[in-house]
Amino acid sequence: MASTSSLAAVPAAPAAERAAPRRMTDPRRASLPVLAVFLVPALAVYAGLTAYPAFRTIYDSFFTIEGMERVPVGLANYRELLGDETFWVAVRNTFVWAFVAPILDVATGLLLALALYAGVPFARFFRIAWFTPVLLSYVVVAILWMWLYNYDWGVVNVALRAVGLDGLTRSWLGDPNTALAAVIVTHAWKWAGFNMVVCLAAIHSLPSEVLEASELDNCGWGAKLVHIIVPMLRPTLLNLYVLAFIGKMKVFDLVWIMTGGGPLWATETVSTYVYKRAFNWNTFDLGYPSAIAAVWFGVVCAAVLLLNRVFKSKERLEY
Amino acid sequence: MAAAIARPAPSRSPLPRLFGRGGLALVIGAYTVYTLGPFLWLATMSVRTTGEISADHYAWPRPFHWEQFRVAWVDSDFATYFWNSTIVVVTAVAVVTLVGAAAAHALARYRFAGNRLVYGILFSSIIFPPQITLISLYQILVDYNLYNSLVGLTLVYISLQLPLTVYLLEGFFARIPQDLFDAAKMDGYGDLEIFRRIVLPIGMPAIATTLILNFIQLWNEFLFAVVLITDPEKRTLPIGIRAFMGDHFQDIGMIAAGVMISVVPVILAYAFFSEKLIRGMTAGAVK
Repeated sequence: MASTSSLAAVPAAPAAERAAPRRMTDPRRASLPVLAVFLVPALAVYAGLTAYPAFRTIYDSFFTIEGMERVPVGLANYRELLGDETFWVAVRNTFVWAFVAPILDVATGLLLALALYAGVPFARFFRIAWFTPVLLSYVVVAILWMWLYNYDWGVVNVALRAVGLDGLTRSWLGDPNTALAAVIVTHAWKWAGFNMVVCLAAIHSLPSEVLEASELDNCGWGAKLVHIIVPMLRPTLLNLYVLAFIGKMKVFDLVWIMTGGGPLWATETVSTYVYKRAFNWNTFDLGYPSAIAAVWFGVVCAAVLLLNRVFKSKERLEY
Repeated sequence: MAAAIARPAPSRSPLPRLFGRGGLALVIGAYTVYTLGPFLWLATMSVRTTGEISADHYAWPRPFHWEQFRVAWVDSDFATYFWNSTIVVVTAVAVVTLVGAAAAHALARYRFAGNRLVYGILFSSIIFPPQITLISLYQILVDYNLYNSLVGLTLVYISLQLPLTVYLLEGFFARIPQDLFDAAKMDGYGDLEIFRRIVLPIGMPAIATTLILNFIQLWNEFLFAVVLITDPEKRTLPIGIRAFMGDHFQDIGMIAAGVMISVVPVILAYAFFSEKLIRGMTAGAVK
């Protein structure tokens, strides 16, 4: 296609000479220097600031590093990790968050999208309004929700007292039983709008005949949701789940600012624990946190590959 | 059949009975209060003094203490944080967009051995947990005297946004019709000229989306900033606010004013480019 058109553009020339100029004018090809000009800056940034640091972290995980001093310790960091209770608590919290919370996110997003799709006035306004939290930084969201959860004057406790449920009021972020849930709700508040917009776009791209046919068949909305909408949106919903999963495996800012991982490690995540061990506790050893980071890197990559494989293996619904 | 005819806009109302009318209004109203309410509450607190807030946290500001913003800007160092953020983010976004666009163009347009491999390598780092580079970047920047410097932070920010930039722009550039390039070649354009005079102008909508998206993500970035910057003079807004909150935990009015200062550029960008922004943020997820 492309090559034939450029071939036609080359004026008739002796066969011996034709090969070289055609190669040069094929617009799909470029000489090495041209490719280098386009690609080398990006590859240099990648090599220097992503690939090299990543390898170095893995390499560092076999050392104890205090300041300038590096002592090779073999697998000792990894052995220590196996027995590190705080690490396992952090892993458990992160897994709970990463596997459970995305269901909440995607379900909320889908229901909100359906509400807008049902044809309310000012749908555009609502769509933009509901998306706003996605744009706020975690610092802002964290401060805002720390105030909402405040024991004395936070809106949650104020509302509970207003309806006479004083018994339920508590320091939401200070109680180990509710802290993780409280932070998860905050995270869901930030991201629901994102899932809503994606679901809405996917619903709009569904063939309307199918939905209209179910309408004529007098299909109840519950049945319609379960049998038609969810199966047809499957690829989008699964994709959203994986995206939310990745985001939650990395979560740091929100936890760090709201609870610092406390109380009693109730909200400790792997990210906050790495940060604590590397920069916050006065242990001054960068080898051990490197080992945690390396393990977690492997876990995240494996989990993403696994989820992709599980979700892709099922036949995609064609419509 | 009658229902089908009576329906005014068939494409829009296949789900009219999803919730009852009243139920639907209730859900939508409640959710809007839930998303916007906290933010508006924050906005009212930013123009009230901490004394007034302590008396009643939910009262309407009366009078509006706009001077809170001047105090935050001048006396509480938010001006420093704001300009640091601006310098770092604007530079990083400009560089990453140019570098990313060049790479995206080469990957989308030219056939060469290893094209998909290079794309895969650049893109795959999008799933990396940040800790895998964080600890080493800290050491590397210390080695090169870039720790605690805005230059170092800018470099790191460029690398953070590169995968997303390449991903978004490659997808768009690949859809520019090849005929345009064939014609340009015939007119004697060189490869660089094609990039500058065809790809960049035609790709402007996608580039603008990427610019705004990168701007917001970096404007909000916290983890790398908090690790790589310790000098109070060099703090960006997110770590500046956090530090201020650490020192003045009780000064709610002033914290709220600082938070509003950090949010205003984002809200402005959103007000003007809401559709572009939503499209950019969700581009990777829509299948």
